[in-house]
Amino acid sequence: MDFDRLDEEKLFLYFHANGLAQKYGVIWSRVISHTRALYLLSVLNGWGLRTVNDYPTVLTCGDKVLTTQALARHGLPTPRTAVAFGVEAALEAIEEIGYPVVLKPAVGSWGRLLSRVNDRETAEAVLAHKVALGGPGHSVFYIQEYVPKPGRDVRVLVVGDEVVYAIYRRSVHWITNTARGAESALCPLTPDIVTLALSAARAVGGGILAVDLLEDADGRLLVSEVNHTPEFRGAMQVVDADIAGKMADYVIQLAAGNICRAAAG
Amino acid sequence: MRIGILCSRVRVEEKWLFQSLQERGAQPEWVQDEAVVFGLPTVLEQYDGILIRSLSHSRALYASQLLTAGGIPTVNAPDVIATCGDKLITSLALVRHGVPTPPVRVAFSPEAALAAIEELGYPVVLKPLNGSWGRLQAKINDRDAAEAILEHKQTLGGYTHSIFYIQEYIPKPGRDIRSFVVGGETVAAIYRTSSHWITNTARGAQASNCPITPEIDHISRAAAEAVGGGVVAVDILEAPDGRLLVSEVNHTPEFRNSVAPTGVDIPGRIADYVLEVAMKSER
Repeated sequence: MDFDRLDEEKLFLYFHANGLAQKYGVIWSRVISHTRALYLLSVLNGWGLRTVNDYPTVLTCGDKVLTTQALARHGLPTPRTAVAFGVEAALEAIEEIGYPVVLKPAVGSWGRLLSRVNDRETAEAVLAHKVALGGPGHSVFYIQEYVPKPGRDVRVLVVGDEVVYAIYRRSVHWITNTARGAESALCPLTPDIVTLALSAARAVGGGILAVDLLEDADGRLLVSEVNHTPEFRGAMQVVDADIAGKMADYVIQLAAGNICRAAAG
Repeated sequence: MRIGILCSRVRVEEKWLFQSLQERGAQPEWVQDEAVVFGLPTVLEQYDGILIRSLSHSRALYASQLLTAGGIPTVNAPDVIATCGDKLITSLALVRHGVPTPPVRVAFSPEAALAAIEELGYPVVLKPLNGSWGRLQAKINDRDAAEAILEHKQTLGGYTHSIFYIQEYIPKPGRDIRSFVVGGETVAAIYRTSSHWITNTARGAQASNCPITPEIDHISRAAAEAVGGGVVAVDILEAPDGRLLVSEVNHTPEFRNSVAPTGVDIPGRIADYVLEVAMKSER
């Protein structure tokens, strides 16, 4: 299969379809910047070009408000989450959910600017700093119940209709992100994990996605996030499957027109 | 005597200052800080002195420097504004002059700041180097809060937020003391009482008269002298062991809530001082 590596920094795209639209069967985005990925895919999809993932999925996964909304709409279990647009309303929501809560920027990865808030004084300070930070993302307050997870979360890689693997991400820190030093370990695929991960992937539109699951104190699984451009370096150390190969197979099948993507509903 | 009052907006304080200066036979004029164009140096020859009431610290600082270089005396003097406008420089001045203050640590990275916080022990207070009304002051009760606030401060950036100023939290008795020092004299003091740990009248704290004890008088004058005198408000904390500690010194104090409870004509005292300064340096 022929492929080109394209550097988004060197690209410019006309909004009306041109030669590029016919040249490629599919464009697989591994663009790290969410904003760039989003705009790039919007133009490519606008031409009618197939992409992995597609624009609506990246739009949904790149914004925690939209992700949680999609999960809730599909009846999937998530931690209790609220969104507020003013400091006073955010404080009310925090106190109603009860401490500790986690405040997350709606857009952002690698656990950046995640705050675990254990008391009112911290809530006030974090909210004031978010307001000072400015920008659209920080006057929208995404407030989530803190799930006392057992020192780990579960990350499940979904490719199309298949679960490729699940790993535990273990950390002494409450932010269990491998980019922040969490250790990966193989997590046995249970029917619950498979079903929930596939449902979550479908809820956001499907494609190549990493679904983050939390185990609550009762052992119930909750979906916390879905990532549209998953990193899998950590998983490669502990998973036997040919992860990149599975992804490539999916992309090739999509290019060949053998996969019909169901629109998220 | 022609006295300019430099500010963006005439608030209650500035109105009272105008009246007080007029009552003393002076001719006060509003110098709108947004309308002035300054030369290097600036010679506003029509004025015998300028009372600086700009809310913006940087405007106050540079105006006082430009005017002083041109031979126009300002209240406050540039050094006082420079020192009081930066909490780190204020702390240094207080320590150098032996004025008791809460223990402070300064760090330049979130990692070093976290180590300093854990060494001081929770709770601590993180303060931006400049800013008023308790804005972005954070009481840090545990490591989760420390990590969250340090990361937000680092993202905010700028020297105000990337120099980490860490102060031991003093469990004050639901109030602090604000004293007004004018020309080396403690003229009034109030308690600022609040159920919130930030006891700022702009944030709802109640002002009531605080009798000026010899201890309050002494520490207030010492703090004012340490930052270079002039017209300042000194924020004093009462530690559980009864010691008084100076936390901040303000160079453009608000006093609208302090005149009634203390019965002291604070704007009158400031006007007297401004005229004295202008007289002394009469050209």
